[in-house]
Amino acid sequence: MRIVVAYKWTCDPEEATVRADGTVDWSRAKPGLSTYDPVAMELARRLAEETGAELIGATVGAKGVGAPIASKAALGRGLDRVVIVEDESLREAGRSELAAVVAEAIRHIGDVDLVITGDSSVDVAAKMVPTVLAGELGWPAVAEVTAVTGQDGTLRVERAIPGGVQVLEISGPAVLAASADAAVPRVPGMKELLAAAKKPVELLDLTALKVPPGSAVMTVTGRARPERKARKGQLINTADPAAAAAELVAALRAAGAL
Amino acid sequence: MDFELTDEQQLIREAVREFAQTEVAPIAAELDRDHRFPYELVPRMAELNIMGMPYPEKFGGAGADNLSYVIAAEELARACATTSVILLAHASLATFPVYKFGTDAQQERYLHDMASGRRLGAFALTEPGAGTDAGAGTTTATLKGDQYVLNGSKIFITNAPFAEIYIVLAKTDPAQGTRGMSAFIVEKDTPGFSVGEAEHKLGIRGSSTPPLYFADCHIPQDALLGGEGDGFKIAMQTLDGGRIGIAAQAVGIAQAALDASVAYAKERVQFGKPIATLQAIQWMIADMATQLDAARLLTYRAAWCEDNGRPYGTEGAMAKLFASETATRVCDRAIQIHGGYGYTESYPVERNYRDAKITELYEGTSEVQRMVIARSYLR
Repeated sequence: MRIVVAYKWTCDPEEATVRADGTVDWSRAKPGLSTYDPVAMELARRLAEETGAELIGATVGAKGVGAPIASKAALGRGLDRVVIVEDESLREAGRSELAAVVAEAIRHIGDVDLVITGDSSVDVAAKMVPTVLAGELGWPAVAEVTAVTGQDGTLRVERAIPGGVQVLEISGPAVLAASADAAVPRVPGMKELLAAAKKPVELLDLTALKVPPGSAVMTVTGRARPERKARKGQLINTADPAAAAAELVAALRAAGAL
Repeated sequence: MDFELTDEQQLIREAVREFAQTEVAPIAAELDRDHRFPYELVPRMAELNIMGMPYPEKFGGAGADNLSYVIAAEELARACATTSVILLAHASLATFPVYKFGTDAQQERYLHDMASGRRLGAFALTEPGAGTDAGAGTTTATLKGDQYVLNGSKIFITNAPFAEIYIVLAKTDPAQGTRGMSAFIVEKDTPGFSVGEAEHKLGIRGSSTPPLYFADCHIPQDALLGGEGDGFKIAMQTLDGGRIGIAAQAVGIAQAALDASVAYAKERVQFGKPIATLQAIQWMIADMATQLDAARLLTYRAAWCEDNGRPYGTEGAMAKLFASETATRVCDRAIQIHGGYGYTESYPVERNYRDAKITELYEGTSEVQRMVIARSYLR
């Protein structure tokens, strides 16, 4: 079995600062694995330990994603090898364009049975790449995955749905997006990190890949802050706790919150 | 001069930080309050290959460089000074002598278990009448037939009684002073070897430091480490490296205190604005950060010297001296920034303050470090 984990090497917005003019200063933000990608790697690793599958990392992006430290960070989390497409032209690429490149990298790897991704990237958080990637590959996409196990060529997938857990059986390749809290990624051991430098890294040339134009082009055309409702500012006198509780419940019911 | 850490060193820092902040930091206050040895963390650190980081893989270690090990110790100390000293006493003080001076048979018997973290080690040099004057120890080892018989006592032995393997310094020839000292590997539960009650200390309260007692304790002749009379040299070489780890521990404790102070200063509002806007606080933070950075650089430089085959005795002493005194100073300022709250258990800085002091004392007091440094300049 061959599993690909698609991951992102990027900066955490928490480390960026906003200048007085509203622009973002990323200069002090150190790049790393996108926050939820280690969760995807953990799910993939558990499945690989169960089935003996080969674990391959795939990442695409602008200059920097192919830096040795980026590969070592991924390989130190249990991947057997990584495949990278690093091209400066991808710096301003949209989600659908990036997904198309990832799809081509997966075709290059060949005989892939499963792709696992993180819930979303820490910097953009579009939640688009897993589904667009699945579309490019012609495979089903399953989001909010909390567990995946393998049984005789069939995958058993659990996903979180409102009010419970849904269980799917999937035969055939698929793209699974791991829920952000699906697993606590294991801390890499020191030996794993030191051995990472010895594992294979394959750099693919974007032009040579000949990525076909995406079947659909999606562009983010706008963003808006959520509308902030005016606070009611209703004060409840708590001198009598029982009366205060009743008044609070009534107010919440009136507001439709209960 | 390249001040960047290597990729591996950066990734090791991040991984140990992840472990320290998620699994160690949450129990640090409890360990301190209850004087509890975190026995559950030792196999966990062994699982992550932290316990024998700088030792070769063929001996069960991780094969990391000393700088990576020192970085790991710093990150652990940032979360919990107790946990960091458990590692340091085990890896720097107990495992090092077996690695450096052990015979093939001794390494076969002990080193893999120690470097892998499967068996915890301790180092027994200090005695009630022999602290800074380490050569004044009166514990003896007398050869009788094919066994040595130990008699005497040791105090403040970190990791006892949880340790299974003890490096014990004892006089095979008391008349020769330091030249009559030898080193031995003694296993827990050897008849005649017992452990007393742990000390109640100002800080690192979860670190167990009881006395050891030897009453006609018979050990095999091949428990001798190195040759007879090599003990003082073994001890001093061991401490040369060990003090770099203590410097790292001091850096970690100080970093925790600085982090807490920065966070508090931004939140605490007095006179209508955060105290971080007040110059008095800003200057304290600036001084703390600068001294801490200097301490860190001295520590890393000493580890770099060790990794690159350079002499590191003086460099290690400088690092330990400066880092330990910096930690005490930074923690003092941290409480000052926190004001009255800093004096309570509600904030971690009082624990940092109590933990920091030991770094000026063990593995050679600041006075000993000054002696080492002065000697290197004035000979």
